[in-house]
Amino acid sequence: MTKRRKWTAIPGLIALATAAILLSAYSGASSSQGSQPQQPINFPHTVHVQRLGMNCLYCHYTANKSPDPGLPAVSTCMGCHQIIGPTLMPVAGVRTKPYKSPELQKLVDYYKGGAGKPVPWVRIHKVPEYVHFPHMRHVNAGVTCQTCHGKIQEMPQVYQYSSLNMGWCVSCHVNGYSPREGEVAAGYASADTGTVTPAGAPQQPGVATPVTSANAQQLSSLPVAVGRQPAKNAAGRSIARYDCANCHY
Amino acid sequence: MPDADNAKNGGVRRREFLKVLGASGAAAATIGCTSENVGKLIPYLVSPDATVPGVSTYYATTCRECSAACGVIAETRDGRAIKLEGNPEHPLNRGGLCARGQAALQGLYNPDRFRGPLVKQNGSWTRASWDDAINIVSQRLTNGRATAGNAVFINQHESGSFPTFLDQWLAAFGMRPHLSVDLEADHAVIEANRRTYGVAWPRLSFADAKLIISFGADFLEGWGASVPQQLDFADARAKLETAPRFVYVGPRRSLTGLNADQWIPCAPGAELAVINFLGGRGSAPSRDQTGVEPAVLEQLRTELGTAKPSLILSGVTTDNAGEVAAAVAALNQSLGNVGTTIRNADPITAFEGMAGPADLLDAIERMRAGQVSMAFVRGVNPAYALPKSLNVAEAFQKVPFKVSFSSYPDETTELCDVILPDFHALESWGDAQPVRGTIALQQPTMDPVFANTRAASDVLIALAKKDPTAAGRFAMKDYRTWLSSRFPGGDRGLTTALTKGVASGTVAPRAAAASTAAPRRIPALTSTSGDFFLVVYPSPTLGKGSGTNKPWLIELPDPVTKMTWGSWVEIHPETATRLGIDRGDIVEVKVGNVAVRAPAIPYLGVRPDVIGIATGYGHRAATDVPKFDAKSTTNPVQWGYGRYARNLGVNALDLLPSGTGSTGEIALTATKASLSRIGDHVTVASTEGSARQHGRGIAQAISADDLSRGIREPAEREVRPDGTPSQEFLPGLRSPVAADAQGILGAPSKPDQGKNVGLYDPNHPTRMATRRWAMTIDLARCTGCSACVTACYAENNIPTVGAPWQNATIFATESPGFNIGRGREMSWLRIERYFEGANDGSFGDEFETRFVPMLCQHCGNAPCEPVCPVYATYHAPDGLNVQVYNRCVGTRYCSNNCPYKVRYFNWFGYGEPGRKQYAFPEPLNWQLNPDVTVRGKGVMEKCSFCVQRIREAENRAALEHRELAPDEFTTSCAAACPSRAITFGDAADPQWTVAQLAQDRRAYHVFEELNTFSAVVYLKKVTHTSGPTAQPSPPATR
Repeated sequence: MTKRRKWTAIPGLIALATAAILLSAYSGASSSQGSQPQQPINFPHTVHVQRLGMNCLYCHYTANKSPDPGLPAVSTCMGCHQIIGPTLMPVAGVRTKPYKSPELQKLVDYYKGGAGKPVPWVRIHKVPEYVHFPHMRHVNAGVTCQTCHGKIQEMPQVYQYSSLNMGWCVSCHVNGYSPREGEVAAGYASADTGTVTPAGAPQQPGVATPVTSANAQQLSSLPVAVGRQPAKNAAGRSIARYDCANCHY
Repeated sequence: MPDADNAKNGGVRRREFLKVLGASGAAAATIGCTSENVGKLIPYLVSPDATVPGVSTYYATTCRECSAACGVIAETRDGRAIKLEGNPEHPLNRGGLCARGQAALQGLYNPDRFRGPLVKQNGSWTRASWDDAINIVSQRLTNGRATAGNAVFINQHESGSFPTFLDQWLAAFGMRPHLSVDLEADHAVIEANRRTYGVAWPRLSFADAKLIISFGADFLEGWGASVPQQLDFADARAKLETAPRFVYVGPRRSLTGLNADQWIPCAPGAELAVINFLGGRGSAPSRDQTGVEPAVLEQLRTELGTAKPSLILSGVTTDNAGEVAAAVAALNQSLGNVGTTIRNADPITAFEGMAGPADLLDAIERMRAGQVSMAFVRGVNPAYALPKSLNVAEAFQKVPFKVSFSSYPDETTELCDVILPDFHALESWGDAQPVRGTIALQQPTMDPVFANTRAASDVLIALAKKDPTAAGRFAMKDYRTWLSSRFPGGDRGLTTALTKGVASGTVAPRAAAASTAAPRRIPALTSTSGDFFLVVYPSPTLGKGSGTNKPWLIELPDPVTKMTWGSWVEIHPETATRLGIDRGDIVEVKVGNVAVRAPAIPYLGVRPDVIGIATGYGHRAATDVPKFDAKSTTNPVQWGYGRYARNLGVNALDLLPSGTGSTGEIALTATKASLSRIGDHVTVASTEGSARQHGRGIAQAISADDLSRGIREPAEREVRPDGTPSQEFLPGLRSPVAADAQGILGAPSKPDQGKNVGLYDPNHPTRMATRRWAMTIDLARCTGCSACVTACYAENNIPTVGAPWQNATIFATESPGFNIGRGREMSWLRIERYFEGANDGSFGDEFETRFVPMLCQHCGNAPCEPVCPVYATYHAPDGLNVQVYNRCVGTRYCSNNCPYKVRYFNWFGYGEPGRKQYAFPEPLNWQLNPDVTVRGKGVMEKCSFCVQRIREAENRAALEHRELAPDEFTTSCAAACPSRAITFGDAADPQWTVAQLAQDRRAYHVFEELNTFSAVVYLKKVTHTSGPTAQPSPPATR
């Protein structure tokens, strides 16, 4: 860049930046919605959830009992991948030739038989430190994971689905939530009819079965609190406290 | 942001960029709009059992901050201990925990801890590997066997198995049993107790006594086992009308003295005459002899004759302390108190087996004579905590080889040759014998903070294994194996007992070596010269200096004077007037050739012929250490006593004579001194506003007589605003909150769009407005000990602000306590201390002290709320007055409008790691409570009623599909309180204790006339008729 062009370019850039700031302020989007960072291992939720039908809680094992959803220990991954090693054997309907997976090799290299290092996953969803978000309250109230995180089961690479802005939080707390919407958001029910698709054919080993409402519910919807139902508004939707000190302290 | 990216890539040079920026005036371009850097998510490699990320795990263990060894429960989160609370199962502290116990965490995470072994080579310290360090010591041990009989091992006093283990180890190397040292214990009393009651420390039953007389025994603050004694004393006071009257005799009114109903300001050294008179039949000693009107003493003797049983305690620190203690014990015996109020059949065994200072002094003299071949020191700092005139450092240096197990740099460790840094008590295994028949356990609550430190017990085993003769006796794998092999039920029994932290059983006591050393008596107090008696007393917060590396304790105001961050000299206001000394004038206290200088604090509670100075400060000034950089991680070892103790105050022990009292104890009131003003003045780092209530009725009291006659309060106080009962607690709206702040969100379907009630509607489907969180504080129980203050600091990530480097960047004067002197302390909960009586400050007038824990009152009609321009403070539907940090813009209007002055402003970035004012240098920040936001600069903050605990309990109840149970949880201050003065809960639900206590006949609100509908209810202090010198009891308070 020559000196002359700099003199013209910089005020232009500043003007652009100002415009961008004003625009972002206008839209209220100080959010990183949509951010899709590269992870150290290209972990496919699609395979694990959609094809293998694993429950979210298998790996995110404290989402229903702790504010923290929990991240699987590398040993949890290796529980299966000890057997399903870096070299994948042919499976009818999936692959015909043996396949050497570089991603699984990375996992094995991280683990090193229990003597290695944890996988440094890049965090995607984060609320600021002055916000306290208890996962277990939401999960136990019947909010499906996908309501906030999007259809993770269809994401080859996870991105931030929701804005995580305060307005987004409060709208649900005030206007209410119905489990049906959660199922629709999760793709377990269809939005127009509100009916649940009937269960598919019984799974055959090794054959990918599309997730249907019935098995999905069985797999990933979680026991809703018995005896202490979430509060309902006049329209029968579950609502929650929305005053500041519920989350900010 | 394009131009920011550009700048990073070097496309635009900074100077060019700034030029254009200035020219165009577009300052806005510096505002970032990139998405927040959210960091990494690091999972476990292998998940540990029994931990849930984000949920606390609790470990029962034992506090080792003093000899009493209370039981604590350590809350750990994701592998780090973040909070200590008393263990309710423990027979001593029964759930309470003092400030020093709370602050053990800052010892654990102290930034000045040794990271690994150090070896002194040619006078300078070098790092060494454990193998090398152990080899060096091992060689000395093996080669030095011929002279091993002369070696000295000084260990901090502990009950339990470790002393036995240590003696076995010493015996394996041919050494003498160790010296079990507690330099803070009252050895004169222990000696008298042993002789008269047969135990080192009997349990004191305050509640059974009709009259308590303490001769300088500060049983609430370090004399004996302070937490259990405080619990028992508070229980006695809670008997209200029938509570025992408490008389304090001594030249200085300590915290314990301030809790007394009557102070008899006897001259130092004259206590013995008073006791002899009380026990005998003769006429009262003259005023010249004791400084007290004979009539007062005669009155006391009459009272003592009728009030049975009574409880008489000795804690005098003059050279004749032994005689006084013996006389008191004999008096208790003749009055029939032994067995009733002095329960020697149920002793506190934690004090058994302690070596007297005479033994230590004897060892030091042997060192000086060059007779000691080797010295080991663990957990004690005699070079600091013994009078300077004993020249401990000089003697210690004559030992050819010295090993320290200290975790921290201190004066004694600096003189050593090898440092083998020990684990902190919260990282190590151990046990204690608090009372007969109970073993208390100590277990690691987390992995060591510094991986390259090692438990001293395990180091001893490693050393033994290197020695051909000792190896056979130390075949065990580690200390835990040895411990569990001796434990009733073995390893399985130990594992089971760990869940509670206590088990029934007895640790075989160590064969206590009888003291052989003869006391080396100092000259009698009266024979010394000077205008004033010098009363040196152990600091209630810092002890004899062991707490001075913990900023919580340094910043915790002294309960009596409210002083922080440095020494002070207490003089009586009359003396101050006579000598023309103002508060804050630097005075020089001189004994012989030794002098110390500190600001003067006029204090009503010392005799006019007495100077009071607390111990704890004046650690060796590490002037040879380069200027401390708070941000640096590679600072050299902070010799002295770490970064916080640097250049802080003076050591009053420097003034004391060399030698001991009659039973070998170190006399603290041992000499006279002269006092002079040197013409310098400082702003004292005190948190005190006014010592007087000025008729505001903040701390109210009622006499026991009025209370028993059913008089609730003086007639003029009967009128209440609006006819509203003061104790009424209604859930929901009690605040003039603007309707548009929340109404429309409340019930949008209603015709009025929910503007009338909104979120404060008790019938709101979320039922968020059904509770009213509230607190009661019983001033009859509160002793002002300030444990709650430190508990609050620990729970709520409250920064300390007084370190010298924490003041402003501009006009910086690096003086400790600078920020405190300017009222910038952040203590969400403070103890206010008010004097009543002696209004003109003259000596001889009776005065009374009232302590009021002052915190956010969570007003239903809060003055702070309507003045906030950004709704950063608002009224939560469950009755909390909430501060929303992310809304706050720092106008401080709320603080100006708060009548209780309980809101604190972050003047600097105490919570921001990049700033020099950062209060949590690594690894102190490991202690931060992850449930509480660390506040940034420019934000107002205040007591939240531990809202994080409320939410945690609510979450737990929801998870278990139930409602909150009454008294299910409590706040940090209430949990810690060693007097059980604080009760927290839901005042709208009569099943909670707080709802019942709020209806108490002694209940009042502070500033009720302001119509704030506060949620904190105080229960009036109960005063008991004072002695004959008392003024006619003032019409209760106001």
